[in-house]
Amino acid sequence: MTATGHDLSSRGLWQRLFEPPSINRMAPGTFITVYALLLVWTLVVLFPVYWVLITSFKLPLDVASGPYFLPWVDFTPDLHAWKALFVDDWEDTLKAYSNSIIIALASTALSVLVGSMAAYGLARVQYKPKLGSILIFVAATIAAIIAVVRYGVEWWLAGLVALAVFYFLVLALSRHFKTTLANGDILFWIISQRILAPIVVVVPIYIMFQRVGQLDTHQAIILTYAVINLPIVVWLMYDFFTSIPVDLEESAQLDGATRIMTFTEIVLPLSRAGLAATTLLVSILSWNEYLLALFLSTSKAQTMPILVAGMAAGERGVLWWTMCVTIIVMIVPVVFMAIVLQRFISKGVLLGAVKG
Amino acid sequence: MTTTTGRTDETRPGLNAPAGPTGWTRFSEWLDRHSGQFFITPAVVMILIFAIFPLVASLMLAFTRARIGAGGFKFRFAGLQNFEKQFFGSEQFHFLGTFSAFSLLAWAVMAATTAGIVWWLYRYASTKFSWFGFVGRLITAALIFGIVLMFSATLFSGSPFGTLGVTLFYVFVGCAIQFAIGLGLAFLCSQKIRGRGFFRVVFFLPLMITPIGVGYAFRMLADTSKGPFAPLWQAVGLGDFTWVANAWTARMFIVVADSWQWIPFVFIILLAALENVPRDFVEAAEVDGASGWQIFSDITWPQIMPVAATVMLIRVIEAFKIVDLPNIMTAGGPGIATESMTLHSFFAWRSFDLGQSSAIAYLLLFVTVVVCVSFFNLVVLGRIRQS
Amino acid sequence: MTHNPLKALLAGAAGVATAVAMAAPTVAQDYSGITVNILTRPGPVIAGRMAERGEEFTEMTGAEIRVDEVPFAELFQKVLTDWATGTNSIDVGVFASGWATELAAADLLEDLTPYVEADDKIDIDDIAPYFREFNQKIAGQVKLITLDGDFQMAYYRTDIFDEYGLEPPRTWDEYLANAAAVHGKDFNGDGEPDFGSCMFKKRNAQSYFAVMSFAAAYVQSKGTGEGIFFDTETMKPKVNNEAWIKAFEIYKATGEYGPPDEINHDVGDTRALLQAGRCAQMIDWGDVGPLSIDPEGELIRNKMGAVIMPGTTEVLDEESGELVACDAERCPHAIDGINYAPFAAFGGWSGAINKNADPKVKEAAYAFLSYMNQAAQSNVDVTMGWTGYNPYRNSQLENLEPWIEAGFTEEAASNYLGAIKASLNNPNMASDLKIPGAAQYTGVILDRELARFLAGDITAEQAVANIEEGWEEITDDFGRDEQAEIYRLSLGITNQ
Repeated sequence: MTATGHDLSSRGLWQRLFEPPSINRMAPGTFITVYALLLVWTLVVLFPVYWVLITSFKLPLDVASGPYFLPWVDFTPDLHAWKALFVDDWEDTLKAYSNSIIIALASTALSVLVGSMAAYGLARVQYKPKLGSILIFVAATIAAIIAVVRYGVEWWLAGLVALAVFYFLVLALSRHFKTTLANGDILFWIISQRILAPIVVVVPIYIMFQRVGQLDTHQAIILTYAVINLPIVVWLMYDFFTSIPVDLEESAQLDGATRIMTFTEIVLPLSRAGLAATTLLVSILSWNEYLLALFLSTSKAQTMPILVAGMAAGERGVLWWTMCVTIIVMIVPVVFMAIVLQRFISKGVLLGAVKG
Repeated sequence: MTTTTGRTDETRPGLNAPAGPTGWTRFSEWLDRHSGQFFITPAVVMILIFAIFPLVASLMLAFTRARIGAGGFKFRFAGLQNFEKQFFGSEQFHFLGTFSAFSLLAWAVMAATTAGIVWWLYRYASTKFSWFGFVGRLITAALIFGIVLMFSATLFSGSPFGTLGVTLFYVFVGCAIQFAIGLGLAFLCSQKIRGRGFFRVVFFLPLMITPIGVGYAFRMLADTSKGPFAPLWQAVGLGDFTWVANAWTARMFIVVADSWQWIPFVFIILLAALENVPRDFVEAAEVDGASGWQIFSDITWPQIMPVAATVMLIRVIEAFKIVDLPNIMTAGGPGIATESMTLHSFFAWRSFDLGQSSAIAYLLLFVTVVVCVSFFNLVVLGRIRQS
Repeated sequence: MTHNPLKALLAGAAGVATAVAMAAPTVAQDYSGITVNILTRPGPVIAGRMAERGEEFTEMTGAEIRVDEVPFAELFQKVLTDWATGTNSIDVGVFASGWATELAAADLLEDLTPYVEADDKIDIDDIAPYFREFNQKIAGQVKLITLDGDFQMAYYRTDIFDEYGLEPPRTWDEYLANAAAVHGKDFNGDGEPDFGSCMFKKRNAQSYFAVMSFAAAYVQSKGTGEGIFFDTETMKPKVNNEAWIKAFEIYKATGEYGPPDEINHDVGDTRALLQAGRCAQMIDWGDVGPLSIDPEGELIRNKMGAVIMPGTTEVLDEESGELVACDAERCPHAIDGINYAPFAAFGGWSGAINKNADPKVKEAAYAFLSYMNQAAQSNVDVTMGWTGYNPYRNSQLENLEPWIEAGFTEEAASNYLGAIKASLNNPNMASDLKIPGAAQYTGVILDRELARFLAGDITAEQAVANIEEGWEEITDDFGRDEQAEIYRLSLGITNQ
């Protein structure tokens, strides 16, 4: 008898192939199909990467005269592209590489920290911001920005004044404001930040950083990336937090834990899978971002994607070989990070906690 | 209780001891009371500061004509000129498409759509009516009607359509493919297989490659004379065929490259969600004899649906902004066949036509917002209300 | 070259004199403590050589030369943003001279006329007249220092032409006939059919430069001052006529003899094909010469011939918009009845100095640009393919020695330089568009309509009509009279 209580001997071919013989093993038919599909997709993923890899070892003539597939069989691998990047242009490559790593790590950390906190707040707390207060805040910020950009007021002064004005206006007027927004509205507003095409905001952001003298610095790009990726962190972590039952936290709070303690000691560990996935995604988005890095940096803070783009439009054509080297080299740290983080995207320990 | 450590001062009131709880506990209690604000404020403030100026500046730009003058840029207020151009003026063929007389198919589609919209609005008005909801539905209906009208006048009547249509094609076709394959892969990887760590990393690889890199890599791959598939094309007799010269094959190729790159995004999040589904429910169902499909639709899917909706919402928003792939692979060609709206905006921006660039970006924003709000309200909230 | 003893003696004497002059330090100033920040496209092209010369300059004067690189597609946007917003972290921009018009209109460029007048090393008269007057000067003032001379020529495989008995193309009909004759044959022995013509046609790349090269000779015949884009009085576009329609159609027709995916090829792809030995003819900037003596140019080493851009036997009659046959009156500069109009596409990489930079920095920056431009340095740089610098000085075209040293045979060198000389000395050289909004006129409107035409979405007639409409819109937007004024100035027409 199988685990499902059927009589083994009378099964048809289809059932023999696709019915699992026990809870923890797959049926042979399923086994083959699953692995076959996975294998197919592995090929789909790896073939372009393989092609990029061998192109990095090809001479220009090899690239231009038709496809060569196997090193040493079809063509002789050559290290000229690798040499160009790591020997001739060593300083530029190292600078771009280290900039990229620093910026990606810092902006991801900032973004995941701030975003998870916000997501948790939205998942557990009912916010009721008054529309009026929001409008006053927006108006004060706009006034401050105009003062800084057009009239050259010092940014910290404008900020303080705006804050004071906002505070007093809200104190005075808030009881007249009736319309309130809810969590859903806040969530929507947050994700709507991702909708506007970056090209349109590049120059305004450039001007903003220029006025505070922070162009071509790491912190400008880190801050910008953190803000840009906040919506994604908030939305993804919101889903993962809401899937955790509230009872856990409520029982903890009955035991005297503060909300912050609940967050750090109970909720975060339980959402490890989501946290790992989100961290991985956001670090990749920062790692690969091109347009804002291009404009916010001139020389000191240049990142790898700019290096890649630099090999593109050439009067000699795309320098396929050096570009492939850069692409491969850019993948390496991310693969490393993925290997480290993918362990967490595994079966959660939720089971025990819920039952217990 | 007295202790012999130096902490007795804290439990006995004295001249130098604070009355009641210490400063630190008071602070942490205050923090806890206001923890709601504390959690959300940093994110909100950061976004507000970065979002307001660019938003206002670019919105103002959309209503101006910019040119380079003495000392920098000069702006001239131009009202709705930038927008008018896209719909009725010299850019109409570029944005909407080249209109031709309605074919039979076009009439049929228009009739069906109009009927469907009217019925939908009527049903809403006669059951659960609220002004806010009705206006929202009206806007969605207007957008759907406009888009179908555009396609009827162009695609269904045999003439080329513009960047609006191309963008919608990339979004809907691309995201559908990405969702289907991403979900499938996540499902496969959550089965009891060996080497899941390996598959997780490998399947995630495409997203790790910088978008510019993906564009160039696929250009190499798609090359029918020098690319790796060249022998294959030639064997099939397509040796001289070039996908870049045909509008639809060019678009399909961009969708292929885009999907290759973004499926990992859907895959990794859905995998995390699938891994979070409590194992015992599934096992209990298996013991009860439920088929794989039943388990999926009754247990797994409801659990991961919220995450799936979120990931697709994010993916759709990003897909509307597609720009690097069309730019690198075909530069928007042949003609304007693969040019997305963001690429359209980018070309304008590069030639310093900042007004038009902003106008197109805001048109895209409008379309994206309506699509996303509709998706969110009708699909997500609808499902949540159902379950 | 015939051996004339007297000539050799004089040449030798001149050589010695030049060597003595070169031995003297070209810059005597001390700029220690000054850093000049230069922004340009990624190397090694343009930027690489500049960095090397920068080190020499540092040894001579103590000024530090920093060369920063930014992807080509966004180079101009970065420079403009930096200068227009007052960031001023860039002191010198090295970019296409055509882009400078916008910057000059915004009054962001330093006027270099006084610097040039005080400079006794630069030998400004040695620079070919076209580059000296039209490239470096904007509205009569010197605003740029040429580092590279850009214009397009036609190239052909001398060995293949010899084999099939073909002559270098003088007109576009001949070009197409040549292409037809050899298309499909195998030029490089790899068993695959090769192409009679390789042309870059990719959108948003360089295709619009190519089509302007085709159109120039059909439109302009009376000299550079005539211009190929607009009527100089009314600023009405001169594009909706048979001349441009013919240019479009011939441009498309070359595709019959080219690679199947030519529509997606930019200049880099075309050059790669050329170096793989697969093209019988092509048009390109001056880079093909040095490309053929590059290590990667093994297959075409000394097999490339150059000739002035093919011309036409009919030109535009402005009133009727039709093409009419050339005669002595219509085509005063015709050679053997053929009207040539080599097109100075893109202008050429040149250096411009930020007006709002520190005065000492500006001095040092000018000294460096002058150093690079001086014959002593420039004549060596233009012979090396990898630098990306093409000839623009007369002295570079007279002396074959550096070219032969670089790897040309005497025959190939004199053929290459001869074609350049013929082009540079042609009084009917056509200027690129150098008015505000040029990027919109050519890079957006012309480029897009061309792409639609090549894709078969519209006919050539519709394309040029759309271009006219688009251009009129931009002209009205920028102000017709202003644009007309600047257009006239760019063509060297004053007092009008």
